Order: sequence, then structure tokens, then C-alpha cells
Amino acid sequence: MNNQSFRDDFPVLQEERKGKPIVYFDNACQTLRPASVIEAVDGYYRHSSACVGRSNHKLAEEVTRACEDSRSRLAKFLHAAKKEEIIFTRNTTEGINLVAHSFDFKKGDVVLISDKEHNSNLIPWQMTAKRVGIEIGIIPTGSDGLLDLDEYRKMLNPRVKLVSLGMTSNLDGVTISGREIIQAAHKNGSLVLLDAAQSVPHMSIDVRLLDVDFLAFSGHKMMGPSGIGVLYGKYALLEKLEPFLVGGETVAYSTYSDCHFLPPPEKFEAGLQNYAGIIGLGAAVDYLQRVGFDAIRKQEQLLNSALGSRLAEMPRVKIFGPADAALRGGIVNFTVEKADHHQVAIMLDQVANIAVRSGQHCVHSWFNSRGIAGSVRASLYFYNTLAEVEIFLETFQKIIKVV
Amino acid sequence: MFCIASFLVLSILGIFSASNRQLAREALDCVLRRVTFRPCNTGFDQKMKAKLVGGVLTRSESAASFINKNFEILSWIFIVFFAVSSFFALRGIYYYYVYGSCNGLNQTGFCAFDPKGQNNAVSAAPLQCKENPPTAADLTLKDVDLSLFPQINNDSKDTMVFLGCYACDYSRKAYPVIMKLVDNFPVNFVFAHYPIKENSDYNSLAGECVTQQDPQALWKLNDILFSTEKTNLSDPTFIQKTVVDLGVDLPTFLKCVEDPATEAKVKNQITDITKTGIFGTPTVFINGKPLVGPKPYRVYAISLAGLFYWLK
Repeated sequence: MNNQSFRDDFPVLQEERKGKPIVYFDNACQTLRPASVIEAVDGYYRHSSACVGRSNHKLAEEVTRACEDSRSRLAKFLHAAKKEEIIFTRNTTEGINLVAHSFDFKKGDVVLISDKEHNSNLIPWQMTAKRVGIEIGIIPTGSDGLLDLDEYRKMLNPRVKLVSLGMTSNLDGVTISGREIIQAAHKNGSLVLLDAAQSVPHMSIDVRLLDVDFLAFSGHKMMGPSGIGVLYGKYALLEKLEPFLVGGETVAYSTYSDCHFLPPPEKFEAGLQNYAGIIGLGAAVDYLQRVGFDAIRKQEQLLNSALGSRLAEMPRVKIFGPADAALRGGIVNFTVEKADHHQVAIMLDQVANIAVRSGQHCVHSWFNSRGIAGSVRASLYFYNTLAEVEIFLETFQKIIKVV
Repeated sequence: MFCIASFLVLSILGIFSASNRQLAREALDCVLRRVTFRPCNTGFDQKMKAKLVGGVLTRSESAASFINKNFEILSWIFIVFFAVSSFFALRGIYYYYVYGSCNGLNQTGFCAFDPKGQNNAVSAAPLQCKENPPTAADLTLKDVDLSLFPQINNDSKDTMVFLGCYACDYSRKAYPVIMKLVDNFPVNFVFAHYPIKENSDYNSLAGECVTQQDPQALWKLNDILFSTEKTNLSDPTFIQKTVVDLGVDLPTFLKCVEDPATEAKVKNQITDITKTGIFGTPTVFINGKPLVGPKPYRVYAISLAGLFYWLK
């Protein structure tokens, strides 16, 4: 992939720090934004910073149209049945919290999650367990990071009301076999929520083909603005959910003692929304589609293979997840024996402006259960290059000689 | 140990920069954890270590490796150096406050608070034939007969002797400070004119003759001579006009100035002054302790009334 033309779209990639280019390998945390997204956000504030669906002036009509257009584009992007299945949230975390609070859980109901969930797909269920009395079932994964499907099937029983899984792990980049998992859950009478924060930016998702019930993701990991996300839900299910946050724009009318909620998505979008974010997210979807997921996947595999294979040859380095780089998406997460992960990450930044993440990557439960202090995670995206991988490897080799 | 070292350094840098202030807070958190026997789990030490080693790695791999391996020892060494330099820095501040010089009483050498050494500057006295040049350590009032000199007796236990020269810049700078002390503290005050500039012998004679007629008029004459244009000091007409203005009888004054006995007395005074070992003016003795150069008011006041003179 000749990604130079795409790289030119990202202002940050044109910058330098201390005379060196920035090597941005922290895309699992958040991606960089292309100029078109920045301009879309800027355009809202410059030209049409008004409210949606409330006022009747031209500016309000313009921004209402732009936001609804974004909703339509996102529905089309996900192959949703209708645009009303798209609820704008702040991020993936809020989407999952919305389901956790709105779903009609009863005491003794079970929610299944995997043993390597991001805190965003763990803590909401822990709180629901305290609030309602649900139980949390932990599906194990193997040393290769793959979900133990046999164990998963064994865990399915009538009490399992929801299976909530990270579709692609931010820990090791492994993507679960969604269709198979969802089919098994539905056969059991359970619904499925997918945390697709690490999937949507990297692969084409067809929610109808998957038959997933809920799917949450964030704008900031797919080149969209931060502070905007989406919860997709099948319309029939959304209609049944109680709203999580309530207030302005969620009701058709109210009296001093009662109110009548609007249908989805409005009943879930309380208060004035992040309109710039919504419009920017629409622009990010356009940009993603222009790049194309085939090209994205191909470039990620190329880079992951180049980086992963060389790292794997180094004696003190241990990479999490499957040996096959093709199964790790854009993520190369590793530890360096006898070296502090934060020190390695900071030194990569100090020496060559290489941005990676270190720590437990919000998957504390997985790290703590295995007694691992933390790791260094390089997460790649289509705009990264083999030349950057070389810079990384060269710098990293220098660092491990020192630490 | 690194947390302590970082906290000390960053606290100082934090005075000038907000980003360092934030790091200083993190370092403090780390220090507080260490002193309460808890692990420093803020990652601060690792973060700073990584930044330092990373910075060095861009220049030298072997130096980075050395620092990384010996980080704790280097932190200790730094702390020791920091403690030692802090001690000297604090001592310098204390000395400057108490003696007007970072290097101690009457000690010359660079002082950041007095870079030009103004507080130790003197107008040099004529060289005397001595094997070793005189120093402040040699200054003493031991063999000096203070009764030879004009004085203000306040029946105080404290005595301040001011050896100055009307024509010397540094004496002229010190004089108003000294007189302010005389006003503020009940001290016995002795004034000795040491004419080390050319053409100022006449002033000594004038002072002596004014004292003989009216001891109080001398202090008024001093006020004028220490503040007038220096060119006036070598002009006998100016001196004579001044003493007349002070109510002194001019013929008597002129006769006194011409009198060999007056000259002998003044010479006698100067001989006694040289017995102090004086090498420049102003030199002030407070209860026998010499202070060379025009010190700030507080330095003299501390010598008279102690560190907390301002409370008295």
C-alpha cells in the first residue's frame, strides 16, 4: 500500500519534535485525525453552531440535517436496518453503561464476558451485579488469546441473559468469531453486546450479517473526534430498553407528574449532544470508506508481521497473543524481561518520538490474575509505514541494550 | 532516594516553571510514600529515570547504560552533593545576612547577592612597611587610646568606633548608616578621622579645632563634610565658612589650626589609628569586632543587638 497520500492528510504526521518525525504507534488508544475530520468539526463551530431538533432557524436546520446525515452514514456503514438504530453516545464505555443500566436484568441473571475485557466491559457489569444481583461469568481464553469456544458453549444456560464481549481485544488484537458466538448465544436465548471499539476502525462490520443485538464503539479510535461514540441496537430491543440518562429531547411531552418518551434514538440522547463530534464522526466514516478496509487490513498485517517477527526473535521479548501476526490485527503487545514497561515506552518517545502505550491497558484484571506488571503496546494503523517499523526496531534494540 | 533528589531539584525549578511544579508534586507524593514505608507506586521514579536515560541514550549508549545500571548509586551521590552544596548555599545566605558577604565577616570573593563586593570595598590606607600585608584578622583596638577621639557617651555597654575619611567614597556611603545606628541604638560612639586621601589633613585639624570649641558642633560638621561635594574638602575657605555657620569663632579656629600642638594631637590620633592595623576606610569596630567596608544597616545592627535586632 502506498499510503503517502493518506499520510499527507494527517497534520500530526507532518510535524516533528526535536527535529525528528513522530512515529505514532498508539492507535489502539486513539487514532490520529485526518484534515477532513478536523475541518468538519471546525465547520460546525465556524458556520452552524446551533442546536439540533429544537429551534426553527436556518442554522438549526443545517446542523440538524448534518447530524441526521451522519446518523444515516453510520447506519449504512454498519449495514444497520435503519438509522434509528444508531444512538450517539460519548464513547464505547457510555454505550455499554447504557445497556447495563437500561437492560431489564433480574437478580440471578448471568452476563458472560471474557477474561481479557477492557474495564469498560467489566466494571459496568460489576456495578450491575452490586445493584441488581446479576452474576458475571468469565469465559477463559487460551495462551494464544483465542476465546475457548467449548467452554463458552458449556457456560451458556437459561440464566445467561447477555453475552458481552470485546470483539477485538485491545490487549492482543485478537478478533473473536462473532457470528459463531452470537449464533450460540441466540440459540440459548441470550442477547449479545459487542464492544467493537477496536474492530470498527479496522474491519467492515455488517451488524445484520452478524445478527448482533448491541454494538458499541468510539469515534476517537476510528479517526473521529473524541467525545463521540455509537451504540447500535436492534430497533425492537431499543424500544424495550428504559432510557439511561433522561431529560431534554428525550420526551415528546411531560406534565408535573409524568412524561412520554420519544422513540429511539431520541429517548437515549438526553440533553444537548456533541454535534461537532457527530458531524466529525460522519466525516471519519467517509474517510475510512475512502481508504477501504481491504487496504487497511493488508497494511496492518504487513506492519504487524514485520514488527512482530523481528521482536519475537529478540531474546528478552515476549509477545502476547497468537504467533500469527494476521490474527493480531494492528496490535503488538509485549513485555521485555527485566525491564520496566513504562521505562521502555518513555525511552522510545525520548529517543525517537515513538508513541506507544505502556501499562495494563485498562485490562487490569487480566494482568493481575497472571501477575504481570504491565507491557508495552505498539498499535499500528494503515498510515504507519515499514520505515517507521524500522525506526522502532532500531531504537528498541538500542534501548534493550541499556535497560 | 531518587524521589528525594527529584523533589529537591524540581521544587527549585518549580519556582520558575509550572510543568516542573507538577513533577515536584509527583515527586513529593513519591517521597511521602517512601517515608511512610509504602511503595512508590506512582511510577514517578521510573518515569524520570526513563526520561534521563532516554535523553542520554540519544548521545551515548554506554553512558546511558552506565546511568541505568547505577541509577540508585548516582542518586545517592547526587543527594550528597546536593546536601553539601545546599549547606554552603544556606551558609552563604546566612553570612550575607549577618556579615554582608556570602563568604563571611570581612571576607572578599564572589557573592551572588553582592557581585561587585561593595559591602567589603574600602579606600585603601597608605601602605605600611610590613612583611605581610595587613588583613581583617589583624584589626584590633587593643592598644588604641579611644579617649583621644571625639565621642558620644551614652553610658552604654556597647561601643562603636567609626574609622572613616571625609574624602573616601566608601566612608561617605557608610556614614549615614552609622549615624542612623547611633540614633536608633543607645551605643557609645567614637569617631576617628583617618585622612587617607591627599589634601585632607586640614580636615582632621578642622575637626579637632571644632571639637575643642564645641564638641557638639563636630557632629554637625561631620554631617556636612561626609555629604558635601568632595572638591569642597580640599578648599580651606569652604571649611572655614562651614565652621562659622556652625557658630564656631573663626579667629580662634584659625589659630587652633595653625597651632603645632593641634597638629601634634592629630598626628598622635593617627598613630593610634594605625595601631588598629587599619588597611582601608571605612572600618567600624563594634564592641571590638571589626567590620571592614560599608555594610548594610542590618549587619551593624546585628552586631550590636543580635540577629533579631528588629524586635528590639
